[in-house]
Amino acid sequence: MSSDTDVVIRAKHLAKAYKLYDSPKDWVKQQVMGSEKNPYYKSFWALKDISFEVQRGKSLGIIGRNGCGKSTLLQIVCGMTRPTKGEIWVKGRVAPVLALGATFDQEATGRENVMIGGAVLGLKRVEILDKFDSITDFAGIGAFMDQPLKLYSVGMRMRLAFAICAHIDAEILIVDEALSVGDLAFQKKCVDWIDNFRRTGTLLFVSHSTSELSNLCQSAMWIDNGRVRESGSVADVARAYRRATFVEKDNMQRFSAV
Amino acid sequence: MTNLNNRQHIPDAPTMHIVDGKTVEPRDYNWLERLFRFLLRPFSEAWHHRDLIAAILRRELRERFSGSMAGWVWAVAAPVISLTTYTLVFGGAVKLPNNAESRGAMDYALFIFGGLVAFNFFTEMAYRAPSLLHEYAHYIKQTMFPAEMLPIISTLRATTYASIGLVLMLAAQLVFTGTLHWTVLLLPLWFIPFLGFLIGITWLLSAMGAFTRDTAYLMMTIAPVLMFATPVFWSHETLGPDAKLWMYANVLTGFIEIIRDIVVFGNLPDIRVVAWTLFISFFFFWFGYWFFRRQQDAIADVI
Repeated sequence: MSSDTDVVIRAKHLAKAYKLYDSPKDWVKQQVMGSEKNPYYKSFWALKDISFEVQRGKSLGIIGRNGCGKSTLLQIVCGMTRPTKGEIWVKGRVAPVLALGATFDQEATGRENVMIGGAVLGLKRVEILDKFDSITDFAGIGAFMDQPLKLYSVGMRMRLAFAICAHIDAEILIVDEALSVGDLAFQKKCVDWIDNFRRTGTLLFVSHSTSELSNLCQSAMWIDNGRVRESGSVADVARAYRRATFVEKDNMQRFSAV
Repeated sequence: MTNLNNRQHIPDAPTMHIVDGKTVEPRDYNWLERLFRFLLRPFSEAWHHRDLIAAILRRELRERFSGSMAGWVWAVAAPVISLTTYTLVFGGAVKLPNNAESRGAMDYALFIFGGLVAFNFFTEMAYRAPSLLHEYAHYIKQTMFPAEMLPIISTLRATTYASIGLVLMLAAQLVFTGTLHWTVLLLPLWFIPFLGFLIGITWLLSAMGAFTRDTAYLMMTIAPVLMFATPVFWSHETLGPDAKLWMYANVLTGFIEIIRDIVVFGNLPDIRVVAWTLFISFFFFWFGYWFFRRQQDAIADVI
């Protein structure tokens, strides 16, 4: 089962640095006469060294404290941002269920947002039109489809966003703590859908809840300060993570840029 | 996202493969192929994202034209009023600003209006470009949105208004002088390089504007000066030969001269002006694209 050809996501020593400029002046200086060796910016390494592989049809849970680099990692896998160092190799269409609904255009109607959102995720216009009724059904927001997004509640936005992601025939699903919004019935619908998706697709799942991880994932990875601290079975990683949470204080020192 | 483009014909290729910040190509390309692929890339990407471009454009035009009670009326009223004003004010002028004889009340108005269509198109893009990426921040942040398509979308949207002005200009000429010059057929050949120039400028300014707000202030400061440094209400042809040559350093001069030649006078434009204007368009288009792509990763991080 675990032959090398089945790998759909491979990350080797991934590292990501954000360039922090003290002022716009430094940005201009960097463009005109800066170099990598002698930069006018400070680097903040959100990811330092991350390696993992996910095989087709498997699901990997990712756990870690705020600011540990989880979101950056997911954004790299989606192709939203580029790693500075290391290798990332992804095969198949990715559906990112990240920051659900935050990306919608507030002035546009639900219908227009579906057309735009679907196109961003790589669907052709005819494909979206084909699936439109099904998306409306899944979101369950009825007549609001032709109202501007600014009239939607947070829950409704999330429903619509998830409904789009559920319809793009992705091979890889990336879910980032998104399911906490929405009522229980919709949460259950989403979890059921993800459960069903897992039979054929690959799942990357980020959550702070270790019980959610054990429900949905076969293996887990704990990221701490931009590095993989622990990986293996969900039970082992979750135990180590919980234990560490009791011992380590919640300090925000690690956000300081170096 | 670039990675999606050229991979689809290779069945077993990864959708994304990046090593040390660089996309891994399926094979090595020599410099000529690389150059060719670079020149082609803006077009292949726009084609790849055509449905997305259309979806956003459709939404924006709907907002513009049905978000207000009389959307189309406003869009048409503004150019009609300015054209009428120029006709009334300058209708009696015997000589055009370039010292040519006026052949009717409309000539002076059309002379100015032609320049104004091009100039307004340019300023609309230049004003908006520095804040363009901030305006669409919700798309760029946290989605796989191809930000390099935004300048194209924004230019195409402004094209609608510019086209209204152009059509009005032709209509006015047809109504008041009874004929159109055959050179009007060359208008698409003027329009396409102009679009390329504007898209390039927007790539450049929007990428700069993402990092520093100064770009927006700079444009606000120089645009009014540019209005007078550009032969919109006057003609550079009355200047001495040296000064006239210098006027072409202002890129808009060439575009304005050509549109006047082909629409108002029915002359073929000077081949040297055409060559220079084309060169400028190509240069800005690909330089702007190159600059934007170079900044793109950083853009997603700072917006």
